[in-house]
Amino acid sequence: MGMRNASLDEILNHYDIFDDDFVSDPFPLLDQIRESGCPIAHSDQNGGSWMPTRHAHIVAMAQTPEIFTSREVGVIELSPESREGPYGGVRVPPIDSDPPEHHGHRRAILPTFAPQAVAKYESITRDLCNRLIDGFIDNGTADAASDYAQRIPVRVISMILGVPFEMEDDFVDWVRGVLETGLIDREVGLQSRMKIITFFMQQIEDRRANPRDDDLISDLLRLEIDGQPVDDIFVLGACNLMLIAGIDTTWSAIGSSLWHLAHRADHRHQLRDRPDIWPTAVEELLRVYAPVTMARIVAHDTEFEGCPMHAGDRILMAFPAANRDPRVFESPDQVLLDRENNRHVAFGAGIHRCAGSNLARLELRVALQVWMERIPEFELIDPADVTWKGGQVRGPRRCMVRF
Amino acid sequence: MCAIAAPEVFGSDEIGNAVVLVEGDLPRELEAAARRAEGNCPERAIEIRE
Repeated sequence: MGMRNASLDEILNHYDIFDDDFVSDPFPLLDQIRESGCPIAHSDQNGGSWMPTRHAHIVAMAQTPEIFTSREVGVIELSPESREGPYGGVRVPPIDSDPPEHHGHRRAILPTFAPQAVAKYESITRDLCNRLIDGFIDNGTADAASDYAQRIPVRVISMILGVPFEMEDDFVDWVRGVLETGLIDREVGLQSRMKIITFFMQQIEDRRANPRDDDLISDLLRLEIDGQPVDDIFVLGACNLMLIAGIDTTWSAIGSSLWHLAHRADHRHQLRDRPDIWPTAVEELLRVYAPVTMARIVAHDTEFEGCPMHAGDRILMAFPAANRDPRVFESPDQVLLDRENNRHVAFGAGIHRCAGSNLARLELRVALQVWMERIPEFELIDPADVTWKGGQVRGPRRCMVRF
Repeated sequence: MCAIAAPEVFGSDEIGNAVVLVEGDLPRELEAAARRAEGNCPERAIEIRE
């Protein structure tokens, strides 16, 4: 623990993405790797991994799925129990689907997340943000992470799936169990995964008996890929995807952005005075606080940019590092809410680029706009009290502000 | 992304894939928008030919 004071040699050969320093402020470490003579580091920690940090390398790898496969996308190895248990076949399609199956899997969920399709969630998202703020505005303080950010995507996803909002606390627990605690404590990871699968098995039974017109689970049960009806394992996987990919990713982006605005009065005022910059501001906040790191698995022995990679090696696609690459972004560490050119890869690139990006953008923009309308001035109560989680998805989990 | 940076030039189909909305040559008044889309494409998939 304590990578902040580690030597360059230690960082390049033994980086630990779960290290407290790496989680709370990864950027100085990522900068050191990217600007070293070895911008694709290799660590022996957490089962071993490569970590490319330059934008060009990460995009090139993302665009070469035949070598850099998605058979596993977790930042550490899947436990054998979750891969081989009775529901071992339940995955997160299309994130961990490779060609040729990938295309059909992705095609199955894309219509739900097209720009025209997600637009209908804007007013509902706005209402739910307002209701959350109604609940704490009179207190003069709130946890921007757990009272607000954390509660938004989970409710939107519940609406899309057609399940009651009362599931929100369970969903959050299960997702954190898989993506946070479960990466370190395998037993928690497995239990959380089984809770998700069991819940959606019941939902599938229910929809099969009582099909609905307007929810994703019913739509998935009617779905055919290449003329064949999909099986329950695929439907379970797609439901699993909605929770795993749709909740703490967006919530982390909302939380990080509010944390930023809490200590940057100049940016709060800029957004108030120039509402026309909201679209670029959202992209800029996604660039600098890209929450997600996804993995790839090397298909066969290969050399990439001089690095000898072997079949089965894990690659950590450090999107947050790519997004601050000075070769692509001018003044990469400065947050410029009106940045004109922004080729950020917060949503990844290539065939696995985030399928839900239109919804994520909408949720992030509406969550921030409603907060700024209702609470234009706010600040961190104690910057040292903010807690971050990271590894696969990085964002604040406790962020107390006063207003 | 291109559809956000240049909604006059790019749209999306029913599954969210980007489509070019302009037929033939790009009108001069849309050039700035198209360049903005080009500069924001993470895939470097947009090329403007003179």
